[in-house]
Amino acid sequence: MGQVDFKNLRKSFGSTNIIDGLNLEIHNSEFLVLLGPSGCGKSTTLRLLAGLESVSSGTISIDGCDVTELEPRDRDIAMVFQNYALYPTMTVEQNIGFGLKAKKMSPKLIKEKVNEVADLLGLTHLLNRKPNALSGGQQQRVAIGRAIVRKPKVFLFDEPLSNLDANLRLEMRAEIMKLHRELGATTIFVTHDQEEAMAMADRIVIMDKGLIEQVGTPTEIYFQPKTRMVAGFIGNPSMNFMKGEISKNSELKLPIGNIKVNTILNLGQHIDVGIRPEKIKLADPKRKPNENIVRVMVTNIELLGPRAIVKMEHESGQVLTSVVDHDEIGKYELGTNISISLASNALHIFPKIKD
Amino acid sequence: MIVSFENRLSRFLGTTAIFIAIILVLFPFLWIFLESIKPPSLGGRPDIWRFEPSWENWHEIVFNSNVPLNILNSFFIALITVVISLICGAPAAYAFSRFRGFQGARYSILAAEMMPPAILILPLFLLLYKLELIDSRVGVITAHLTFVVPVVAWFLIGFFDEVPKDLEDQAMIDGYTRFQAFYKVILPAVRPGLAAAGIFGFVLSWNDLFYSLLLTGAESRTLPVAIAGFWTFRGIELGKMAVAILIAVIPVLILSYSIQKHLIRGIGGSGVKY
Ligand SMILES: Nc1ncnc2c1ncn2[C@@H]1O[C@H](COP(=O)(O)OP(=O)(O)O)[C@@H](O)[C@H]1O
Ligand SMILES: [Mg+2]
Repeated sequence: MGQVDFKNLRKSFGSTNIIDGLNLEIHNSEFLVLLGPSGCGKSTTLRLLAGLESVSSGTISIDGCDVTELEPRDRDIAMVFQNYALYPTMTVEQNIGFGLKAKKMSPKLIKEKVNEVADLLGLTHLLNRKPNALSGGQQQRVAIGRAIVRKPKVFLFDEPLSNLDANLRLEMRAEIMKLHRELGATTIFVTHDQEEAMAMADRIVIMDKGLIEQVGTPTEIYFQPKTRMVAGFIGNPSMNFMKGEISKNSELKLPIGNIKVNTILNLGQHIDVGIRPEKIKLADPKRKPNENIVRVMVTNIELLGPRAIVKMEHESGQVLTSVVDHDEIGKYELGTNISISLASNALHIFPKIKD
Repeated sequence: MIVSFENRLSRFLGTTAIFIAIILVLFPFLWIFLESIKPPSLGGRPDIWRFEPSWENWHEIVFNSNVPLNILNSFFIALITVVISLICGAPAAYAFSRFRGFQGARYSILAAEMMPPAILILPLFLLLYKLELIDSRVGVITAHLTFVVPVVAWFLIGFFDEVPKDLEDQAMIDGYTRFQAFYKVILPAVRPGLAAAGIFGFVLSWNDLFYSLLLTGAESRTLPVAIAGFWTFRGIELGKMAVAILIAVIPVLILSYSIQKHLIRGIGGSGVKY
């Protein structure tokens, strides 16, 4: 079990609201990723759930039990910190067993469980070492071992992979996902790395400035971003945006020309229109319906192995970025004008909220 | 490798300066040591350099004086002072280290240090007098606590600052109370700091003359007071005094040397890092 419920959660430090009315249900056994720019309140959310910070208002419940006022030790959760927070004076064995000792478990049983976990994580030969004699990846494993040995209801990870080098990060990512499949415990994983989020999550929660922007599967988040922030945050290279407004006949009036779409927005509404770089294609001589042809000049080509990033500029000054497969690059020549096509159904329209 | 003239000159000047400093510092020790092994008949004659060494002063001090009792007093007082200072100072330092509000607050513990001891001594004396603790070791310990506790606390703040806060958070998640997290995880992590602060506080108490002079009598007299006491109205008993000085100074030298690595961090490292 391990169902977590945030209701109207608020947290302020002094007069600044860090978490501003958070509502979220996390399902049992789910792998949920909190994703957002640095400083948006991801760690604070985890710390509130862990009981390391007290809430300003709202409630947190685990399996239907209100834990808002409980001490961290009474919440049955485990957490892995970004810098692993291994106890420096204890051996690996003592580190992993420390939480079991708090439960007044017999030393024999503790040893058994520690050995089991060490076996699972390949730490057996390191049990007598102190943390400062371990590599970053090994420290990470110890921190994970210390979390899983207690079999808590909920696992919290706060950017656990960000201190590892690229290869190790991929390896640990796979390992954490494997552990999650085997143990089936609810996991809340914080990261600011969208690729990591996409690869690991059952559902992603995108946060910005203490608010949830969108909750959804990686696919939903990528293909159906609900807000301009999500659209711009997810995707690399990021989505192209054009400013515009709705003109008559529900046409989009954009710097690159007018585009006909189906929209329920009102006449005169200011909008941002987004299109993913990979949706910008060279115009096909056999023109299909729903395609909008635009003339642009190629201003830059950046080769990235199998793909290239092509920057182009419309005569209005609007800059667009496109991602092109390697075998297509020959069709783009620096400084020349080309025709590109923007499919209407690939456009994301975000009304501008006046403030 | 070509060493430029300027380089060699500055090396030479530097080495010379160090030698001069060493001689200036060590000469008094040499002189005191020579004084301690002069026959008593030559006592008080620092101008005499050639003499037959004699251990008579040492023998007198060790077997026929109160100095062993004074040493015991000093040791006992310093030890108890340090133990209490660590018990009070460590949690205080921890609190200051983790305090998220006004960061200058930690400097307030130095306030007691900045006051001239003369301000404290009168109320302290009256208090101890009323409690009938004049000429008692407890009285001196009380007085020493007034300056050793803040120094030990100040000394430790920098060490606690270096222990990541995640560590106690982790311990609390692992099933411990905040206090358990403090003494099971945080305290062991600052053990070198505790040792260094303890030794530093011990030396402060061991060396104190001011409070001990005013608060001790025959029973509780400490070593520094006893040393000062060799200056009698019959003149200075320089030979015996030299022996007592050496006995007082040697532990300080050894102890200070043992914590030199931590001294800088302890004294200076607790400044606020913005
Ligand atoms: N103890 C605290 N006191 C004051 N402000 C804090 C505290 N902890 C975090 N903050 C602020 O809250 C905001 C969110 O922090 P955090 O949750 O750590 O962000 P994230 O983990 O998403 O990068 C930051 O602007 C940070 O400065
Ligand atoms: Mg964070």
